[in-house]
Amino acid sequence: MTDAATAPNVLVVDDEVQIRRFLRSGFELDGYSVNEAENGREAIRAATLRPTDLIILDLALPDLDGSQVLERIRSWSNVPVIILSVKSSEMEKVRLFELGADDYVTKPFGMAELLARSKVVLRRKARATTGDSVIRIDNLKIDLAARNVFVGDERLTLTPKEYRLLQILAQYPGNVVTHQELLKEIWGLMHINDTHYLRIVVRKLRQKIEADSNRPRILLTELGVGYRLAPPNEPADTASS
Amino acid sequence: MSRIRTLTEKATNWIWSATEPGGARGVVGALCLVIGVIITLEIVKHFIDLPPIIITFLIPVLIAAIRWGYLAAIVATVAGASSAAFFFYRPLYTFYVEDPARRLGILIFAIVAVVAAHLAVRMRRESEIVRKREKEISDLYAFSRRLAGSHSASDIFDAIQKHLSTLVGRKVALFEPHGPTGKSEQIGEGDVPQNIRDAVASVIAGRTDATAGAAIADEHGNLWLVRAVLPKTPDLGVVAIDLGRQTPAAEQEIRSRIEAVLYDAASTLEQIGLAHAITEVRMRAESERFRDALIGSVSHELRTPLASILGAATVLCNASAVAGEPRLAALANVVRDESDRLNNEIQNLLDATRITGEALQPKLEWFEVADVVNTAIERRRFAGHRVEVDLPAEMPLIHADAVLIEKALGQILANAAKYSPPGSTISVRGWRDGGTFALSVTDRGAGLSADDTVHLGERFFRGRRHIQTTPGSGLGFWIANAFVGANGGTIEATSLGENKGTTVTMRLPVPANVEQLEVISSD
Repeated sequence: MTDAATAPNVLVVDDEVQIRRFLRSGFELDGYSVNEAENGREAIRAATLRPTDLIILDLALPDLDGSQVLERIRSWSNVPVIILSVKSSEMEKVRLFELGADDYVTKPFGMAELLARSKVVLRRKARATTGDSVIRIDNLKIDLAARNVFVGDERLTLTPKEYRLLQILAQYPGNVVTHQELLKEIWGLMHINDTHYLRIVVRKLRQKIEADSNRPRILLTELGVGYRLAPPNEPADTASS
Repeated sequence: MSRIRTLTEKATNWIWSATEPGGARGVVGALCLVIGVIITLEIVKHFIDLPPIIITFLIPVLIAAIRWGYLAAIVATVAGASSAAFFFYRPLYTFYVEDPARRLGILIFAIVAVVAAHLAVRMRRESEIVRKREKEISDLYAFSRRLAGSHSASDIFDAIQKHLSTLVGRKVALFEPHGPTGKSEQIGEGDVPQNIRDAVASVIAGRTDATAGAAIADEHGNLWLVRAVLPKTPDLGVVAIDLGRQTPAAEQEIRSRIEAVLYDAASTLEQIGLAHAITEVRMRAESERFRDALIGSVSHELRTPLASILGAATVLCNASAVAGEPRLAALANVVRDESDRLNNEIQNLLDATRITGEALQPKLEWFEVADVVNTAIERRRFAGHRVEVDLPAEMPLIHADAVLIEKALGQILANAAKYSPPGSTISVRGWRDGGTFALSVTDRGAGLSADDTVHLGERFFRGRRHIQTTPGSGLGFWIANAFVGANGGTIEATSLGENKGTTVTMRLPVPANVEQLEVISSD
């Protein structure tokens, strides 16, 4: 995105021609180059044959289920995938995030929202490839290599669980990590349904890193699904490190 | 021979009924009363001249007659007469009475006592009958009130079961038949033995004559009476009544009483058109299901093209060619905003279908109130309204379905924005209130009229002032109410009056053990 010469390639997968038509216009107007696929098999073929930076994937496809397509693609590629679906059930979202979806947008949606989310997942991918171990969000600095967390210039003292939570979320900043995944990683499989453990650690962590823990700006809640960190600051801010 | 037998039978029956209702306890009671009178008279005679002794012994007779019936009254009469002779008439401590006038007195006493006892017993029986009728009438009233308020066949069967068990005064299980297969749903009285259930099934299936009514013993030797409520048809259900352990004679007696009660009840049920009511309720439920299925599929079909319209409109709005031409931009915005509104209305219809389709199963989890408030505010668009949030620093975790609560709060916020002028303030406030956490949304808008307040909770209700001016379906508050209710909470709307703003307050239960959670999970 930062380099105008190489327009990002987006693959739009939807069986409805009207949807593909407006997605194509919307993305092209925003400077993307667009490929289309109208079913699952075509989508998998297109993703292997052509350079693809982002996939917009509808769940209801005539041949394969969208989640199957996602699973196939994930077996060999880390390309960002944003799911489109008319279903807005939180259980469905949890399942797809755990299969490796990068984001989820419920139909109907506005183009501006989809473009904003596309930008976030693309930036995330760009950051991941640089392998930077320092993440800056607002005035929070997480140094994953040194295991240090700063707010402004002040170094925070975090409990092991608070740090672990931040670490898991910081591995994919902007990505939603589901409650179950966090509970499993931090407390183990036994406590996979004890959401209150998670709530209380999040509350304490927010009190340390947020200006107002009732209006969080860094550690964000996806209701009924999980948590994510706000998108990191533009690379320009971190270029010095 | 047979005459003698009928005579003996009559005599036994009379004695049997004479012991009612006091029985052996009545006899003992009568004797105690007589002894009490003797002791009192013995004490009193040291201080004053005794009143006519024999009259005093009428007191136990009357009390015994009223409380315990004939047998006790006669025992009291005999005991009273003999005590007078034994303790108070010369020669003392023999049953012989010297004075002929006193002998006559005892005889008159006996006659008066028997007559008075007879009158007292009759009076008692009559007043009992009156009381019983009153109770039956009030039971019947209660029953028909319940019927009037029944919305489903199982409500009606529930009412029948309660009614029959009060009438019969025993454990009554009612079986609501489901089709001719003999399958049924049991209402009331948890434990019905298997062989009784089999008998019920065979009555429902029509294999056993429904009118006869058979007493069947279960494995513990308890007798059960199994028969159809309405003799003509098992459609109104089949009852199994626990008669307990009974001797054959007693069983016969109880059975004939229950049969009489059931007969009365059945004709009442027929009169109030119960069979018709049940069919009607079933049809109503069926048509509601059909309507909801229709709404569900229509909404889904509407959404697919709407996704294209809304998406295309938003592309147009952002395209520089359109954005540079104000008139075109305004039109594109109309398409976008109206399809957005249509989308919300479809979502409301879908939510309403979930509520009436009883598909609403809250997925309970612990959540932070602030997360729900923030999400609800982020997801709504406000026409320049200022949204103020005031939440306490310390809030309990809530155990409910966070997604449903967010949707409910979203509906309340959407209403606040819809019915208050753009640019005005909407305040969201939260506070701990005893065993609940309260969340209120206050706007500075149209407020509620007295009529609005009464009808607000109804599905499809729209305030008279807004029908013409503000678009809407009247589902929002109803949905919010159902979502919060499904999570054990309440919603209440108050207003100082028309154009004085509205405050909607949602209350969610705070789990009792919430303070201990902190301790458990700290690391």
